[in-house]
Amino acid sequence: MSVVEPDALAEPGDAGIRWQRPSRLLLRARRIQVALVTVPVALIGGLIAGAAGSPALGLAVGLGLVVAGLLGERFLARRVAAWGYAERRDDLMVRRGVLIRRQSVIPYGRMQFIDVTAGPVERSLGLATLRMHTAAAASDARIPGLDRAQAAKLRDQLAALGEAQAAGL
Amino acid sequence: MTGPPPGPPAAADDITSWHRLHPLSPLVRAGRHLVGITIVLLLLLFARQQQTGNDLIYDLVIIVLVLGAGVVSWLVTRWQVADGVLRIETGLVRRQSRRFPLSQVQAIDVVQTGLARVLGLAELRLRMAGADSSGGRLACLRLADAEQLRQRLLSMAHAPRTAGAPAAPRDAVGQPGPSGPGPERPLFRVRSERLAGAIALSRTGAYAGAVIAALVVVIVATGRPGVTASLLPVVIGVVLAVWRQFNGEFGTVVSAAPEGLRLRSGLVQTTAETIRPGRVQAVRLVEPLVWRAFGWRRLEVDVAGPRQRRENRTEAQRLRALVPVGSRADAEQMLGELLIAAPRPVRRPPAKARWKAPLAYHFLGWDGDDRYVVASRGRVCRKTTWVPLEKVQSIRWVQGPVQRRLGLASVRLDVAGRRVTASIAERDVAEAQQILARLPDLARTARENSAARNGRPAARGAVNRA
Repeated sequence: MSVVEPDALAEPGDAGIRWQRPSRLLLRARRIQVALVTVPVALIGGLIAGAAGSPALGLAVGLGLVVAGLLGERFLARRVAAWGYAERRDDLMVRRGVLIRRQSVIPYGRMQFIDVTAGPVERSLGLATLRMHTAAAASDARIPGLDRAQAAKLRDQLAALGEAQAAGL
Repeated sequence: MTGPPPGPPAAADDITSWHRLHPLSPLVRAGRHLVGITIVLLLLLFARQQQTGNDLIYDLVIIVLVLGAGVVSWLVTRWQVADGVLRIETGLVRRQSRRFPLSQVQAIDVVQTGLARVLGLAELRLRMAGADSSGGRLACLRLADAEQLRQRLLSMAHAPRTAGAPAAPRDAVGQPGPSGPGPERPLFRVRSERLAGAIALSRTGAYAGAVIAALVVVIVATGRPGVTASLLPVVIGVVLAVWRQFNGEFGTVVSAAPEGLRLRSGLVQTTAETIRPGRVQAVRLVEPLVWRAFGWRRLEVDVAGPRQRRENRTEAQRLRALVPVGSRADAEQMLGELLIAAPRPVRRPPAKARWKAPLAYHFLGWDGDDRYVVASRGRVCRKTTWVPLEKVQSIRWVQGPVQRRLGLASVRLDVAGRRVTASIAERDVAEAQQILARLPDLARTARENSAARNGRPAARGAVNRA
């Protein structure tokens, strides 16, 4: 068995699955979130290091943290690109992750309830995160960065499918 | 609910009216606090004898307050069974009325704490499927009443399902058993000396042994027992853990009854519990390292339901042990009772999985048929998990960076609850992908078959979901 190509678009067994992607704005939302963390952390870290050591050290620490944030941003693009979901006949497939790749299959009949949430950054860009809950705590099915209207539509669609196929525990 | 379940003719008499709990309930419910307070009281009495007067009064006030609160709570609590729903109303300031549809009951336990046993009382616990933390509790009733009520609630819970069910091979996972009262068939009884030995040789016992050995070493080395005072909480902790396990699993008796598998256990606090057919989410066989030398095994089942009361958290996080410790034959017999022709984890992982999981490689394996999937794993303690396909909630395919380099992947099957996941670990990528492609269909077929077996249409409204 050969090593699988680390191409985010061609997961093994992809044949016949039409993957849908989150909105392009998701990358921007994630960038804003990283920036919102990186800038204060770099400032505070730089100030503390500057106060405790020399100003040069403070500058170095601050710059280092900014560089770390930028590196994180590089990784971000790949992570955002890795998200995908596919509505199949009987179940929903969600895939995510770059370093650890995951694909989840959640039968519509197993969905207990569906959440649509939007944090402040997502809300400012008109995005929302859809989250599906089953009776198993380990099931992790969420789709971030959906257009808000699209998220509502998908939620109603999934709820209807879930209702139609609901199965007892 | 398609309609009020046709309860047995006898069910229409007294339980439909409102009932109080037993008048001694406050005493039993406060028992735990009273024991604690009494211990504190005694400690205080011994510690500083000059001020005992004040402390005694404070403690008496506390005891009276606890009992008074219990009595008030007893006065405002009442229960009723009507239209297949158990209603419990309680609360003085904040009235609370809770409904428990019997059709969604996962299991009903009869629990007797030590004090309740002395008084001949018992607590009835309903376990529901939801993720909400508390099921219904009726504390306390007379033991005979509790047993009787449990029987009737269970039969009412069964009535809509078993009415038109065809006769089928018995299977704790899928098919309901024949309805109506019938004799119990004993399946397993744990041997006390073996249980004691097994706990001593388990991880809990090893911790306790290590702590006590450390204690002895310290005392011998220093010659002053006083220095070990700081270790006391640890010692109490491990001793309690050992005691809890022994108390919980002592005298486990499993028998097959018409309404499901009956499980009784306990030394001081006894529990009687019925696992209804079709409520078993997963079966797990555990073989720890030392136990294997004796050929001992432990068979546990996962029944959907929330964690119970907060003080029982450690207990509830463990699965229910149908066979706390038993021989190979015991475990096999119970397994045969739970699953029909259970598959064995015979499909070995590819040789390259050795690089990813050198310590667990020898135990890895899986297999599956159209009913169950079985997967085994573990480094020193072998754990084999059977999951009925109809119970699978979601399927996950996972590949970490090391696995990607080796061309491996894992597939996990989640069932309701947070405790059990069957992990088909370290398979070849192509095989894992094939599993991921095939399992959803197999699981759907299994669900549809189970729905047909239970005499209900495959598609049902969300209202009926357990």
